[in-house]
Amino acid sequence: MKNRSIGEIAASYSNHILLTLAAFTMILPFINVIAISFSMPWAVSANKVTFWPVDFTMESYKYLLSKSDLWRSMGVNVFVTVAGTAFSMLTTVMLAYSLSRPEFMIRKPVVLGIIFTMIFQPPMIPYFLTIKNLGLLDTVWAMIIPSGISAFNLIILRTFFIQLSNEIQEAAKIDGCSDFRAMWNIVLPLSKPALATVGLFYAVTYWNVFYHAVLFIRSSDLYPLQVKMREYISDTENIISGINKTGLPYNPDTLKMAVLVFATIPIIAVYPFLQKYFVHGMTLGSVKE
Amino acid sequence: MSTSITTVTARAESGLSWTIRLGKNMRKHWILYAMAFPGLLWFLLFRYVPVLGSVIAFQDFQIFNGIWDSPWVGFKHFEYIFTYSNLVNVLRNTLLISLYQLIFGFPAPVILALMLNEVRKKWFKRSLQTLFYLPHFISWVIIGGIIFELLSLDGIVNVLLQQFGGEPILYMQKPEYFRSIVVLSSIWKEVGWSAIIYLAALTGINPSLYEAATVDGAGKWRQLTSITLPSLLPTIMILLLLRIGNFLELGFEQIYVFLTPLTFSVGDILDTYVFRAGVLEGNYSVTTAVGLFKSLVGFAMLWVGNYISRKSTGESLF
Repeated sequence: MKNRSIGEIAASYSNHILLTLAAFTMILPFINVIAISFSMPWAVSANKVTFWPVDFTMESYKYLLSKSDLWRSMGVNVFVTVAGTAFSMLTTVMLAYSLSRPEFMIRKPVVLGIIFTMIFQPPMIPYFLTIKNLGLLDTVWAMIIPSGISAFNLIILRTFFIQLSNEIQEAAKIDGCSDFRAMWNIVLPLSKPALATVGLFYAVTYWNVFYHAVLFIRSSDLYPLQVKMREYISDTENIISGINKTGLPYNPDTLKMAVLVFATIPIIAVYPFLQKYFVHGMTLGSVKE
Repeated sequence: MSTSITTVTARAESGLSWTIRLGKNMRKHWILYAMAFPGLLWFLLFRYVPVLGSVIAFQDFQIFNGIWDSPWVGFKHFEYIFTYSNLVNVLRNTLLISLYQLIFGFPAPVILALMLNEVRKKWFKRSLQTLFYLPHFISWVIIGGIIFELLSLDGIVNVLLQQFGGEPILYMQKPEYFRSIVVLSSIWKEVGWSAIIYLAALTGINPSLYEAATVDGAGKWRQLTSITLPSLLPTIMILLLLRIGNFLELGFEQIYVFLTPLTFSVGDILDTYVFRAGVLEGNYSVTTAVGLFKSLVGFAMLWVGNYISRKSTGESLF
């Protein structure tokens, strides 16, 4: 990169500066929220908190951690995420493997039919009635089974399986290995990065379950974290506006921010692992045939 | 005449032999079919049955009679939709927000990808990407909570505004700001994630093209317009077509989280209307008609967009 004109150098600098500023707007809101959640109420009401806690305290968290309904929702989330990811991985991997095999005769129409569902979402009311007719309404399964397979994740896995060398599989089959054994003992061990990507995608989707909960869940003891959190934030049930007394080490603002941080921590915790894989996964998913 | 008869019989025979071949194929590779079965059943039950269930748009659907015994009423619900003024307003909100999302939201990731592509230092690029991808994984409920806080009267935006001598504004409660906030926040959340595909396409461009252009004395700008953008065009067109097919799908979660009674007049969209009138109030047939109308618009737009794209750029989905 020699002989660059002054204009190009200036453009390059402003590009770097603009990108850095934009990247900061991606995390500054989170930092502001975290700072408020660890600050004393007087500092928050006096607008003294920006990106660093003022008069550091953990009282908001202590109060929240004593709420049993929040823990209950956390439990619902853990169950939905673990059971859901297991269910999704099982069905997705098996279907993706079949669709990756050239001897599976109906693979072309099936793949087309699946891509169709990527473009057109299921219509809300008939979807709701289907779940109702299946007897899933207001059960924890309504947050798991209807989101079972993501067409996008399925295509990622299928593309990955196709890219694997076919020779080992053929050799194994000549030695009397069944399709299932070939998948289990040969294909899956070779596909760990793709499986990790898809598994993490599923886990994050289940952790963030909201649409299916709003649509299908009525009883508050089945509320997942996102719905419970919304109850706290918009305070429809007056859970936290009742505690707006002076002298307490927390107020509705600090509590709301603490709830947000509480629900985000698991995502931030898996983010480094996610990031290791997802760029590659995204690129696989977009390979056109 | 005789030729057409032979083609028909030939076709019938090949159809027959196809079923026979399928039968053989199923017997030989029954394990593959057994493994695919749960997934196929799932797609049928949770993605195709609901589409068929849309027939209740032409019925006075009663939950106790079900689809089979509810009376048929033709286009009654569709006539109602287009004469009911509230719904016209809802449709207008949906179209406007969709249009803004398309105009401002669609180019944003392309621009970001082009900017990131110019960063030469690997570690710097990677750190930027780490930050840009993060919001994609955070749910709209959390993002909504954060935005409500940032834009509240004692939120950081108003604090800064006051320091520069401005008057504090209740952004989330003012109808005039609602659509801008929706569009900006969804760009903010998804711009990094959507840029991934363009970044991948950019790495696929042959570097010798740039070298040749530099030798020929083409500047950065000329390289952008003559090499980079034409190479990105297929990706851009495919994603644009997919976006157009989803034109009226704004994402229920975001709007549902952002809506307050004060912003209903500008923010109530088809999805939130269908949820309220259908799921909560039980007007199943009318809201299904709304949903069917939405799908038809999406399908028509996809078809037209695909046609235009094929004629003008040669790129098409089908």
